This record gives sequence, C-alpha cells and structure tokens, in this order.
Amino acid sequence: MILDLAIYLFGGLAIAATVLMIFQRDAVKAALLMLAVLLCTAVVYLALSAQLLAILQVILYAGAIMTLFIVALTALPAAWRDKPAPASFRGVLGLAAAAVLLAELLKVAGPLRAVCASKEFAETGTLGLARLLFGPFVFQFELLSLVILASIVAAVTLTARRRA
Amino acid sequence: MTHFDLAGISFILFAAAAAGFLTCGSLVRMLMFLELMLNAANLALVALGPGAVSQGYAVMLFAIAAAEAGVGLALILSLASAFRTLDPGNIKELKG
Repeated sequence: MILDLAIYLFGGLAIAATVLMIFQRDAVKAALLMLAVLLCTAVVYLALSAQLLAILQVILYAGAIMTLFIVALTALPAAWRDKPAPASFRGVLGLAAAAVLLAELLKVAGPLRAVCASKEFAETGTLGLARLLFGPFVFQFELLSLVILASIVAAVTLTARRRA
Repeated sequence: MTHFDLAGISFILFAAAAAGFLTCGSLVRMLMFLELMLNAANLALVALGPGAVSQGYAVMLFAIAAAEAGVGLALILSLASAFRTLDPGNIKELKG
C-alpha cells in the first residue's frame, strides 16, 4: 500500500536527517537538517490522515520555530557560536546511549506487539477535530492561551533585563 | 503497518534526538534536539492514539512546543550574554 510506503520512506528520511544533524559541524546546516526532519514528519502526519496536523506542522514548526532558531543563530556573536565541533567518538558514544534508550523503549512497548492491530487509515475530518477542541477540550484549549501569555511575558522580561 | 512499526519509527526518532542532545556542545543545538524529541513524542501520540482525540492533544502540544522554544531561546540569549559562551561545559558557576 502506498501510504505504508510513504510512512516508511519519510520516517526513514527523518531518522537519517536526525543522525546527520548530530555529526554536522555548521550550525546553520544543522538547522536546515532539522527543517528536513520537520517536513518529513509533516508528510508522515499526512499519510496518517491527520491533515490539519500536517498543515500546522509546516506553519508552526517549520515556519515559526525554525525562524526563531535562525534568528537566534544570527543574533549571537560569532565568537560564542558553536566552536566545539562534536568529536566523532563523542557522537558514537551518544549513539550507543541512544541504542540503550531505544532498546528500553521497545521493551516497554512490548504489549503493543501482542496487540499488533493493523493501523487503519480513518478519515479524521478537521470538523471533528474542531468540534472536539471547542467542545469537550475547550477548557484545556483556552488554558493554552495562558501558557502562551506567560511565555511571552517571560521572554520579554529575560531579554529586557539583558538590555538594561 | 502495525502500531508496533509506527511506535518503532517514533522511538528511533526520539532516541536519535536524545543522542544529539547528549553529545552536542552548544546550547542552541541542545534546544533544537529538544524540539525534535518533542516532535517524536507528538508523532507517537498521533500514530498510536485513537483518532481525533489524540490529534486534539497533538494540537495542544504544538502550542506548548512553541512556548517552550520562545522561553528557551530567551533564556539562552541571557545566559550567553552573562557567561560570554554557548558551551554548556563552560557554564560552571551558579549565582544566586
């Protein structure tokens, strides 16, 4: 099935880009690899029939958050930037730690293998999602605006103190 | 394509991002890998959860991730201007 193929292909691409990002020395190139990971994840969302999430992933993650990172990379003085290029033995050590973490995660997910249901590609409409967000989840959804407000206040306070 | 395969993909993504978080030598890069870990958790939520409910939670997690990136970058900017470095190994003293 073509959707399964798309999930494997773009999931694999995302994993490859993440691993390449570990060994990338240039910070801006690492940011572009991160962009590739985020766009591949958006395609996986699309294949999982989560259309709204795919669009939000492109707008929010690949648009807003990546812009924030690029601005931060250019705003910092060049002398402080990223000089310790990660020695490759450190990267390999980190991958070994990741392998241990992955083994533990898969062990914990063992019950899933017993269930092993085939993922059906349901048509989850945006209308149903909107009904859910503004119906049963409305309190949590509105609470998020407080979180965003708090983060705005925190960011402005932190950078204002720096300027003073 | 079973649930276990989808979980495997998101677990591998999470583990690779965690490896980058542990080994990189720059605060901005650490925040980038942190975002990727959150992204992998979001993918697991969408892939394994029941339809629209998990997607609703994923939308909320997007907002949380955006807030986290904003505060994190502000913290990194102020830390970097205080210590004149971005290497977390060089930031050793706490003042209080």
